[in-house]
Amino acid sequence: MKRTGFLYDERYLLHKTGPYHPEVPERLTAIYEGIDQGGLLEKLIRIPAALAEPQWILNIHTAEYVKRFEAACRTGKQMFDSPDNQMCAQTYEIALLAVGGILEACRQVMEGRLDNAFCAVRPPGHHAEVSRAMGFCYFNNVAIAARYIQKQFGCTRVGIVDFDVHHGNGTQHIFEDDPTVYYYSIHQHPSFAYPGTGREFEYGRGDGYGFTKNSPVLPGQGDEDYRRLLERDLFPAFGDYKPEAIIVSAGFDGHRDDDMSDTKLSTEFYTWMMQQIVDMANTHSRGRLVSVLEGGYCLNRLPELAHHHVEILLNG
Amino acid sequence: MFVSRSMTRRVVTIGPEASIFEVQELMAQNRIRHIPVVEEGDKLVGIVSDRDLRSALPFRYLKEGVSPEEQERLQRLRVKDIMTREVFTISPAYTIQDALLMIQNSKVGALPVVDEDGRLKGILSVRDLLRAFINVLGIGQPGTLLCILVEEKLGQLKKIVDAITEMGVGFGSVLVARYWEEDKRAVFPYLLTQNVAQVKKKLQAMGYTLLDPMQWYLDQLPEEDRPPDKPKP
Repeated sequence: MKRTGFLYDERYLLHKTGPYHPEVPERLTAIYEGIDQGGLLEKLIRIPAALAEPQWILNIHTAEYVKRFEAACRTGKQMFDSPDNQMCAQTYEIALLAVGGILEACRQVMEGRLDNAFCAVRPPGHHAEVSRAMGFCYFNNVAIAARYIQKQFGCTRVGIVDFDVHHGNGTQHIFEDDPTVYYYSIHQHPSFAYPGTGREFEYGRGDGYGFTKNSPVLPGQGDEDYRRLLERDLFPAFGDYKPEAIIVSAGFDGHRDDDMSDTKLSTEFYTWMMQQIVDMANTHSRGRLVSVLEGGYCLNRLPELAHHHVEILLNG
Repeated sequence: MFVSRSMTRRVVTIGPEASIFEVQELMAQNRIRHIPVVEEGDKLVGIVSDRDLRSALPFRYLKEGVSPEEQERLQRLRVKDIMTREVFTISPAYTIQDALLMIQNSKVGALPVVDEDGRLKGILSVRDLLRAFINVLGIGQPGTLLCILVEEKLGQLKKIVDAITEMGVGFGSVLVARYWEEDKRAVFPYLLTQNVAQVKKKLQAMGYTLLDPMQWYLDQLPEEDRPPDKPKP
């Protein structure tokens, strides 16, 4: 059994979104309860949440943006940059706590004290751009984590796998001209889903050309289509790239019961996909993998999805 | 909406006496396919396209090179020898819609923009129209497209727009596609939000049909693929 870290903090529930909003605290409690089933929780090593040091945030976001976000929260604004980004007075601090916890998970994995980790955080991050919040995201958690791993541990190749059903525009844009981070995303086709980027012909730019890859999936497609695309696009790409660590943007919103998408993935498929990603990490990255929660809005399915996700990390 | 706003103003031009190799180089350098031919005072006398150029150069030239005699003959070819003299032009005061229809009818890839005195003011290519269309679609900004099938009667769009606006969701664009089923229109709101599940639920509760994304089409189907019209009752 692997030493798997688990990041969860009740303060992550304090980030409140407005009415009609799917990104609710109950998502995290559903995930926690799912992982608590069958004694799984006792096998995990808890990672403490802590406020992130500003320097790590500022490696990705502009100082102006961070200030603006903080000021918006402090002055009681209920929305930031986009009507999708509903928030409350605590949101800024909770977003910092999410990043801080994730960086701690990265540190422990990179120092070899943990084999891998799952970070059940809110708010999510992969839509957040350098100086713009969007799509429920404020700080780009995985982008900050990738840079942290590079700067702190000297990695020259970090691989990001983003299987949230929406394209991680923020993460892609942050690393699109950078060959030291490979960004792979599989998501519902941008002509049929938010945010409208992540087309098959986006490969990165400049020095980073060839280190971005997107696999768009059409509405109505499911397990077999995803499997085919992962085998065609992700596995060979990471086989060549041989990332020294893998960060996963784990979104569970492609599930057939999740009303945020038109894709039809089964619970079993998520299990299969995660097993493949863990196998890739074992083969190329000495098992080093940090998974970070993005989307996933079906409160009835999140418990089982999270349970299997963590089980795979534990069993390696 | 006017051609003068969407055209490319800094036009690469060439004189009628230039050699065809100069044309070739200009096209490659600037990655363009149409070069207006002008005389003194920017007076338009023709247009030369990459297709004109390709027709002028023998196939062997590109493939394996040609004999010195043939090369010399090609060197002597002037722009005026290969250009199109009867040019489809457009006025800067025309609209984008004019340009779309003109390009569709004339089947050319670019229209030189010429004022009343025949002087070149710019060029409007298919690329410029694409840019305008991308802007109209709103796909440069993050959002989600929906497709709602509505009956063709007054007030449908208002109800949809009101319902979505009440939820605090903004619009990137709203397209209405015709040539759908008889008596129906497809309304495509491009919503500036990730949070579409709630919008969909509300529209469905109002009795609207949301179309399966795999059945969407924005384009008029070609004649042969169009479903036969339903017989009138």
